[in-house]
Amino acid sequence: MQIVQVLAYGILLGGVYALLASGVTLIFGVLDVVNVAQGAFLVFSALFTWQIWDLFGVEPLLLIPVMALLMFGLGWLIYRGMVRRVAPQGPGMTVLLMFGVALTMEGILNLVFGNKFKSVTPPYFTSSFTIGDLVLPMPQLISGVIGMSVLGLMYAYLRLSWAGRALRASAQNPDGAALVGISHVKTSAFAFGIGAATAGVGGVLLAIMYPIYPATQYDWIARLLGVVVLGGFGSIPGAVIGSMILGISEAFANTYLPQWSSLFFYGTILLILLFRPQGIMGTRTREDVA
Amino acid sequence: MTSMIRRPQLFVPVILLVILLVYPLAASDTKYQQSVLILCFLFAIMASGWNLISGLAGYVSLGHSVYLGIGMYTGAILGKAWGVDPMYLAPLGAAMAAIVAIGIGAIVLRTRSHAFVIITIAVLLSFQLLAANLKQLTGGSEGIIVQAPSWAAEFGNLPYYYIFLAILVLTVTLSAFVMSSRLGAGLVAIRNDEGKAGSIGINTTVYKVTAYALSAIPFGAAGAVYGQYLSFVNPLGAFAILTSVYLVLAALIGGRGTLWGPVIGGFVVAIANEMATNASGGISARVLIMGIVLILTVMFLPAGLLPTLSAVAARRRSRGAAVKFIDQTAIADSSSEVDTSVIAARSQHRSGSGDAILEVRDLVKTFGGVNAVDGVSLTVQRGSITGLIGPNGSGKTTLFNCMTGTFSPTSGRVLLDGRDITGEKVWTRAHDGLGRTFQITRLFKSMTVLDNLVAPLDRTSAGQMVAGRYSGEEVERAREVLTFMGLQEFEKQNTAALSFGQQKLVELAQVLMLRPSIILLDEPASGINPTLIDKLAAVIRKLNEAGTTVLIVEHNIPLVLGLCDTVNVLAGGQILVSGTPQEIRNDPRVIEAYLGPDHMLEVPNA
Repeated sequence: MQIVQVLAYGILLGGVYALLASGVTLIFGVLDVVNVAQGAFLVFSALFTWQIWDLFGVEPLLLIPVMALLMFGLGWLIYRGMVRRVAPQGPGMTVLLMFGVALTMEGILNLVFGNKFKSVTPPYFTSSFTIGDLVLPMPQLISGVIGMSVLGLMYAYLRLSWAGRALRASAQNPDGAALVGISHVKTSAFAFGIGAATAGVGGVLLAIMYPIYPATQYDWIARLLGVVVLGGFGSIPGAVIGSMILGISEAFANTYLPQWSSLFFYGTILLILLFRPQGIMGTRTREDVA
Repeated sequence: MTSMIRRPQLFVPVILLVILLVYPLAASDTKYQQSVLILCFLFAIMASGWNLISGLAGYVSLGHSVYLGIGMYTGAILGKAWGVDPMYLAPLGAAMAAIVAIGIGAIVLRTRSHAFVIITIAVLLSFQLLAANLKQLTGGSEGIIVQAPSWAAEFGNLPYYYIFLAILVLTVTLSAFVMSSRLGAGLVAIRNDEGKAGSIGINTTVYKVTAYALSAIPFGAAGAVYGQYLSFVNPLGAFAILTSVYLVLAALIGGRGTLWGPVIGGFVVAIANEMATNASGGISARVLIMGIVLILTVMFLPAGLLPTLSAVAARRRSRGAAVKFIDQTAIADSSSEVDTSVIAARSQHRSGSGDAILEVRDLVKTFGGVNAVDGVSLTVQRGSITGLIGPNGSGKTTLFNCMTGTFSPTSGRVLLDGRDITGEKVWTRAHDGLGRTFQITRLFKSMTVLDNLVAPLDRTSAGQMVAGRYSGEEVERAREVLTFMGLQEFEKQNTAALSFGQQKLVELAQVLMLRPSIILLDEPASGINPTLIDKLAAVIRKLNEAGTTVLIVEHNIPLVLGLCDTVNVLAGGQILVSGTPQEIRNDPRVIEAYLGPDHMLEVPNA
């Protein structure tokens, strides 16, 4: 029974990771930019949530749309103001740019919130949900379910809407898309905004699950990028698979081998990349080999 | 002495080195300055080391401080066990870093650009976790207290100062050596275009892993000393991602890919870091300031200080210099004066013409559900000029890429000189005498024509890697090949400045440097002007007379039919027909394949 318990816990955890990693993979798919600042976005949103909850005692989950919009705007601005100018210099430079953004945000958050752990503790923080023998902590359950639902909505939107089609067209062939009236700059800014918005939603979900402080952004960079590499860059289904592997392996390792949990995950990444350098769901493009 | 003054690139560093050597002895009470300079040296060492893999080969590592940590732990653990000062174990730290780098490099260098950046971060964090968890060895997250140095206390940090300075000098020497060697040239070629580098015989795996291991050596040596300098080693300090970001920032500010850029950048970053800490009195503001510096550098000084300055100087120097006009019709006219032995195949099979040099058996290549090549068998006779034509989408380029090793076929075999080469790497095929050109030229754009020509390698060996870039008979032969192609005027031109047609000829010249027994030309005539096409045909004929077999994929049917002995027509991934140009010209199936069954205009009855 413990195994089912741990598995359910891992899947819920994976659901939150999946939403966050999808943001990274979406930005990569459309713009070819590795957003290493996603962790900083996340911590920013979580600390903002904490601040509002601390000041007004608002139910934190109500802040989800607010944080999503706020982070969308921030992502949009960062793309328009910085990424767009640096993008022609290639992927290495955009990674460094986003690292600069991450450090700057960490520095600002440090100055504003200090280097202390902050926890959001709504009434359900310590309660749990029981089905038969299965006991699931409430915060994890809420976060996992919301994470997966938001991801599902986003995925459906990207699959079914005109904007989603435009994004995919622009991702595959920016010049061709431009010929049929899709502006790469606009779709890119939109994609960057959506990617950042996932961190906005994720930040609220994290805030009710874990204590947060600015330097935790590094843990998130590592986890999210690991997931994206594992799943294959640019693939949302890949990000979901990678997230589930991470969530479940963390849950199992936490139960049985606590100190090895992250190492196990990195080991898995190295092993998979040894055999599939393009990741699980990644495709090898012609440029890779030709 | 006067000769030194005329060479500022040697003169200036020597003067600066002397100043740094004398400074702590001559000036009094330099304790603080020493500690700042030690950090400058450390960052310069790391940035220069990083530059070998990330600056030269273009593989941006964001986790390179892992090798500093390995050096720190190696020094601390062995120093404790043997009762030695860890700093004397710097050579062991370097060796350990190199060994680990070979193992890790062999895995992580399989990935490219984005994935590589990220995987290097993952490696760094893995080591952090390893160090925290292997408690018996590393003391867990508390780490290891390193004993005080065995020298008298009145020396203070002075010994560290000189050791770090010595490591810096050795690191710069190492990178100067790599940059002037063929290894360095190969790495720059890899940064420009890795696939192309492989196709001209550069064993990219060996080159990259070698550069990666060399780049780890300065880190390992400096780490062993640094651990003792700090007097403790713990996982978070030894394997800090911020150290990696700072050292990348240093290389970026100074100028990636240059010899002195990373050194300058190391000093700039270390001093800026010190000032930020002093100004704010805390780590929070330092992170903020370094973040802003990183953003500004990437946005406004992406090439780095040194390249930006030298670009300005070069522009000033070249002001007023006219671009030389070269008469295209003169190209290739001088070819008759050149001894064709400079291009003749290296391995001469005495069996004469008639046998198969390249053979493809039942080759299938599928992409998803599409059979791009669907069971092709084909032989290229030794000494022939063989053509491969077919409508768009018939599988020509895919077949071509399977022969050259760019793709591995789904099934079927490729034989060169009767030997199965299906599983061989691209560069091994190049060593074995199979050369190729590309439909869209893939020259190394940051290099001159001559540099492009001396880049190809006919084997992989350690001796060749350490040989100087322009040593050996290659340069002389490169000039002769250029003359043969009628390109001697272009020797010092940057290839980016050439017209597309000229680039195609340079690319052919580049492949000829390998003296292949068979050369595969991918649409050599596409996109070039008609005069050059005639020249090209003349060059191909001459090549063939010199004993080189040629396989051409081409859309220019008159050129193919005029040149080739045998022509194979591909349609729908299968060989439709093979025969002499005459047979092909008159075959109705060929016309149908190109134009479809309804190509006849229906003339309405009047």
